[in-house]
Amino acid sequence: MASVIGEPVSAPAAGAVIERRRRPLGNPWRRPWGLEGFTVLYIAWSILPIAVAVLFSFNKGASQATWQGFSTKWYVGGWIQSVANNPELHQAVIQTLRLAGLTTVICVPIGVAFAIGIDRWRGRTSGGLNIVMIFSFVIPELLLAVALFMLVTQLLTFIALGTTAEVAGLVVWNLSWPAIIVRARLVTIGKTYEEAAADLGASQLGAIRRVLMPMLMPAIFASTVLVFASTIDDFVIVEQVSSTAATQPMSVLIYSNVHGGLQGPALNALATIMLFFSLVVAVIGYVAYRWMTRGERKAGATEALTSIAGM
Amino acid sequence: MHPREGWSEGGIRRRPEPDEGDAISRRQLLGAGAGVALGALLAGCGSSGGTGGTGGAGGGAGGATSSSGAASMSGGIPLARPNTPVKWPIYSSNKPIASGLKPEQNATLQIYNWVAYINEAVIKNFCKKYNCKYQLTTFNTMSEAMAKLGTGQLKFDVFIPTIDVLGPLVESKLIRPLNQSYIPNIANAWPDYRNPFYDQGWQYTTPYSIYTTGMAWRKDKVNLAPSWNMPWEGAKYKGKVALLDDYREGISLALLRDGKLDLNTTDPAQIQAAGSALAQLSSVNIRIDNNDYTDVPTGKTWIHHAWSGDMAASYQYLPKGTPIDVLGYWTPPDKKAPVNNDLMVNLTGGANPVLAHLFINYMLDVHNAIENYTYVGYMQPLTAVTAPRLIKEKLLPPQLSSTVVLPSYFREGLLELELPESANLAWEDTWNKFSKGL
Amino acid sequence: MRGSSRTDHRRGRLLWIGLAAPGAIWLLVLFVLPFYAMLSVAGGGINAFFQTSVPIWNPLHWSTANLSMVWSNIVGSGAFIGPAMLRTLIYTGIAALLSLAIAYPVAYFVSRYAGRRKALYLVLLIAPFWVSYMMRMLAWIDLLQQGGFFNKALSSVGLPGNTDWLGGKSVTVILGLVYGYIPYLILVLYAGLDRIDGSLLDAARDLGLSRWRTFWRVTVPLSKPTIIAGTFITVLPMIGDYYTNQLMSAAPGTTMIGNVIEGQLEAAGQTGQGAVLSLMLLIVLLIPMIYYVISTARASREYA
Repeated sequence: MASVIGEPVSAPAAGAVIERRRRPLGNPWRRPWGLEGFTVLYIAWSILPIAVAVLFSFNKGASQATWQGFSTKWYVGGWIQSVANNPELHQAVIQTLRLAGLTTVICVPIGVAFAIGIDRWRGRTSGGLNIVMIFSFVIPELLLAVALFMLVTQLLTFIALGTTAEVAGLVVWNLSWPAIIVRARLVTIGKTYEEAAADLGASQLGAIRRVLMPMLMPAIFASTVLVFASTIDDFVIVEQVSSTAATQPMSVLIYSNVHGGLQGPALNALATIMLFFSLVVAVIGYVAYRWMTRGERKAGATEALTSIAGM
Repeated sequence: MHPREGWSEGGIRRRPEPDEGDAISRRQLLGAGAGVALGALLAGCGSSGGTGGTGGAGGGAGGATSSSGAASMSGGIPLARPNTPVKWPIYSSNKPIASGLKPEQNATLQIYNWVAYINEAVIKNFCKKYNCKYQLTTFNTMSEAMAKLGTGQLKFDVFIPTIDVLGPLVESKLIRPLNQSYIPNIANAWPDYRNPFYDQGWQYTTPYSIYTTGMAWRKDKVNLAPSWNMPWEGAKYKGKVALLDDYREGISLALLRDGKLDLNTTDPAQIQAAGSALAQLSSVNIRIDNNDYTDVPTGKTWIHHAWSGDMAASYQYLPKGTPIDVLGYWTPPDKKAPVNNDLMVNLTGGANPVLAHLFINYMLDVHNAIENYTYVGYMQPLTAVTAPRLIKEKLLPPQLSSTVVLPSYFREGLLELELPESANLAWEDTWNKFSKGL
Repeated sequence: MRGSSRTDHRRGRLLWIGLAAPGAIWLLVLFVLPFYAMLSVAGGGINAFFQTSVPIWNPLHWSTANLSMVWSNIVGSGAFIGPAMLRTLIYTGIAALLSLAIAYPVAYFVSRYAGRRKALYLVLLIAPFWVSYMMRMLAWIDLLQQGGFFNKALSSVGLPGNTDWLGGKSVTVILGLVYGYIPYLILVLYAGLDRIDGSLLDAARDLGLSRWRTFWRVTVPLSKPTIIAGTFITVLPMIGDYYTNQLMSAAPGTTMIGNVIEGQLEAAGQTGQGAVLSLMLLIVLLIPMIYYVISTARASREYA
């Protein structure tokens, strides 16, 4: 996100994009142990609670504070509340993946095209659209969710509550990810490369496809992964515009059952499954990035990681 | 095992009671023409009726001033009260189904219920018996459910509403009159429910559950005599005191503490006094949630305004080694406590009215009701379900026998019923001021 | 930059419009239009039947009833929104500063000094992203229980270990906000700091600046736009947050503006007031949003 502002630091010349990560290999300064210790502490603080939550999804008992022995009964087995044995949980898992898949497939292409379009089509209209897009990024989600509910139930009633309305809302809520990230990248790249391609006789579309798209790939990857992750996590919009249980994803199910309904470890198990799906996407994004940039000199683990984290 | 009331959460609070959002003034309804299709109503209420309604909400006192008290509305169907029972009309365009029909084949029974308020094992057995599938969809507040049903887009068969939304449900024809020939098990219910004041002749409803409101406390931590005043005496227990997240229950608690027994009051002075009483609770760091059944046994909360059904299940959440004796649930022995019951109805939007009837009947079977009880903790008002039986079958520890609701409660208890619109807004406004702004 | 692309630009105009169109339509229909629906609700009334709000679509007929009611709840004698607003400011202010104090050193370290372990550190920094927000809060609820790990840890180092962290404490709410939103801030800061041209720092060092002076005179000024952007990105959702304090405290004494809005949207007959309050909040948030847009525009002008 911040790259919209942060980018100019390295933007003076378009060439800087390629050069910007080149840094002396060895660190000229001594290692700041204090800073490193602080960082390690932070990481422990940020991850340990999650680890505990995952751990307790394997608890034999129902407690989330007292360990009562290892068991996978919250995942599989005859236990009525296990994820495998509960159709409600099945449905939620399927719906989560369906929403995340549909939203990503619709949102990313639209968002990328939108970013290229408004970046190159300079004018009042594109400026206005850009502002609308940034609005959609910062508006409180509850507000958008309730407004969407009113829209689809009172004005645009052909958008049915349920998956249709959910995807419609999730796409608009997440559109700003690809739009902002890709646009920031476009600002950095500048037009030099396209112009060079045009000078060499490439058509405009050809220049976009052959020159611009490869350079945008990291940004597109980043937004794909982010849209997917953010959709999996979404709850406010989906809760508002869902209809039957079949259209309620895991987040809504977990949220409405916390401290009630399903027992704690079942929720932890569900969350662990969500975590698993997110990680799969992250790993796919990472591997795909490494594969697409194979042969490039500077493509390394760090590059791939920063790309899939939207940085 | 899983009482209906659970987590209270931003955006999805659950309120099992006559819920906010649902008190309807029949006068307004008749103004718009009773029985008019819902769509027309939604469109027709536009600016005039609507703005008038909003106007009544202004500040607690201001809003309530415009409500002129009486529970019964002039010229229309009165608001249901024990002394003004209501017999709903049967519209020619919304008749009961014929008798003796075969259950729908290859059907999916659609159930719309509160979160964690039914034992799915019971539904599964039902489906085995009638060879159908089922889908259980849940909601968290009655407002949410009514808003979604109001769109006309949801096709459910069975719905579990509170009493106070019955008016809108009947008059918008969202629910179908029952064909009683499918529901012989009504004979199992308390006799009162064959002719309840809110639905004379049980034309549209059967009872689902009944529960009282009271105080739950930790006997090992709290040294107070149980009473409605407990939260106000809780200075020693700062941070360990919580109220239920429900505008009717919260304000009713303050009314009861001050000895006011009209829990459907429209008197602005009383409502305002209740608000002031609640405001005093800031000194004990009062919390507001519906986790009575988990937080009391785990010790997160020591004094909790609570529902009987929640507390009946609470012992299952005790940490290992903590005796059941530490749990207490008090509701006034003179029965001057909030008592409420929920309903089962058949929605007109559903595709399986016969299965819906059979399901309603199935849930009134004593064996099934008890199986349901083991999961939700809320009891159904069936004659055969008594405290001795529940204790004997080890479904309820004797220490929590105070959670059992007796038939006399339905007659002598204080029901939280539908309020006239402006009074309802005043209740809500007062509660919001306390719960969100303190 | 060369100016020879003017004709190309004109020729390409249709292409650009075509590319932007799907996104633009989606935004207009599903973002701007709902926003108008929100205005119509704010200026609308109530359906007396279901006590749901009834929007008035014609702006000329919008009523100010909801507006005046909200206004009287903010400034009037029975005002109750004020304390929640004040708490929102204090909580988000402290949480933002605390987040920055934690996030900056971490981002700075990983971007400049992590060396060979950079990839590992990045994986760990990104990890919280992949866990649902609510689940992370729940993890803390378990830890913060009176018999929970956090209190046990405190007592093991000799501190009072029986604090009721979940009993309506402001500090717990602030901790929840920091924990919830800091991963975003760190990633933004990391991206900004990592983008700073290393040769600038080398130059500063070659000119004889000490490590600290290089940091203060070069790194910090260069990362200022990143800090501002990162702060927006964490503060804006914090202001609209209504579930964190609900999860961590649930006490009326710790509510924020989001809870007031949420309470009104939930309560029958008050949806209109909730819409008014939401719109008011949005107008207040417009100030940082416009600043963000302007600085973005200026930045791209300067470097285009």
